Amino acid sequence: MPAMDTGDIPIFAMLKSRLGYLAERQKVIAQNVANANTPGYAARDLKAFSFQAKVQAATEAAAPVSAASGMAVTQPGHMQAPGAARGLAAGVKTNKQADSEVTLDGNGVVLEDEMVKLTQARMDYEAAVGFYTKSMGLLKMAIRKPGSG
Amino acid sequence: MADSNPISNTTQSIAVSALRAQQSRMRIIAENLANANSTSKTPGGDPYRRQAPVFQAAKVAGGGQGVKMARVEPDKAPFNSTYDPGNPSADPTGYVKTPNVDPLIEAMDMRDAQRAYEANLNVIETARAMDQRTLDLLKQ
Repeated sequence: MPAMDTGDIPIFAMLKSRLGYLAERQKVIAQNVANANTPGYAARDLKAFSFQAKVQAATEAAAPVSAASGMAVTQPGHMQAPGAARGLAAGVKTNKQADSEVTLDGNGVVLEDEMVKLTQARMDYEAAVGFYTKSMGLLKMAIRKPGSG
Repeated sequence: MADSNPISNTTQSIAVSALRAQQSRMRIIAENLANANSTSKTPGGDPYRRQAPVFQAAKVAGGGQGVKMARVEPDKAPFNSTYDPGNPSADPTGYVKTPNVDPLIEAMDMRDAQRAYEANLNVIETARAMDQRTLDLLKQ
């Protein structure tokens, strides 16, 4: 049997990309806050983390045979499978967003919003780390000798 | 700073660049306030002109967009003038040009700089807490 990495287990792979996403998001928020007084700077944010896309990607990677990764769309009349439209494009791409609070010098950063996003990213990060710890605990429980508590 | 910065350190260097920029901005505001009554050395000459900081997005180590104070520009607003014939800086008609510094605007600017500074401190604190949380995984 080949060596197994925790990254091969879907939940760990997902949590890893989730943590990476949140760290990246925090960086983008830091950029927004830093440029809160830069003329012409528009606030940016990452696209929302698509859990469904990650689940799909993870299950496909884990079991490539059983993965019916949505149906191919070859004709205009074909319907698209849900989730396929978003796909993995929900990665780390920044998108500028219009805001109503753009100042006269063209700056669109609202400090309050950024602070809320920052706290949110932090809480999500803590949650993901918590899940990571719990999943690790499950693994540990599985490899423990029976009857040893 | 090291080239291979982990992401959170980039976050911190972004916030630190902003702390520096806001600090310089505070310095400019202090200059303006201190010179709010500085008139010309010569009779009828121009007094102190208000300075305004210009911020610009700038790359920091690790590849993030920090901020820097690109330059300081003189405020083009016209000077005020008061009638004070006894003043050594007065022109022949008795008027003294006074700086185009409005203490109220400077005070507002100062509040704004302070708020931005606090926000960036908050970012650093949060980045640090997230790092700490990750390191805590080792304790398990």
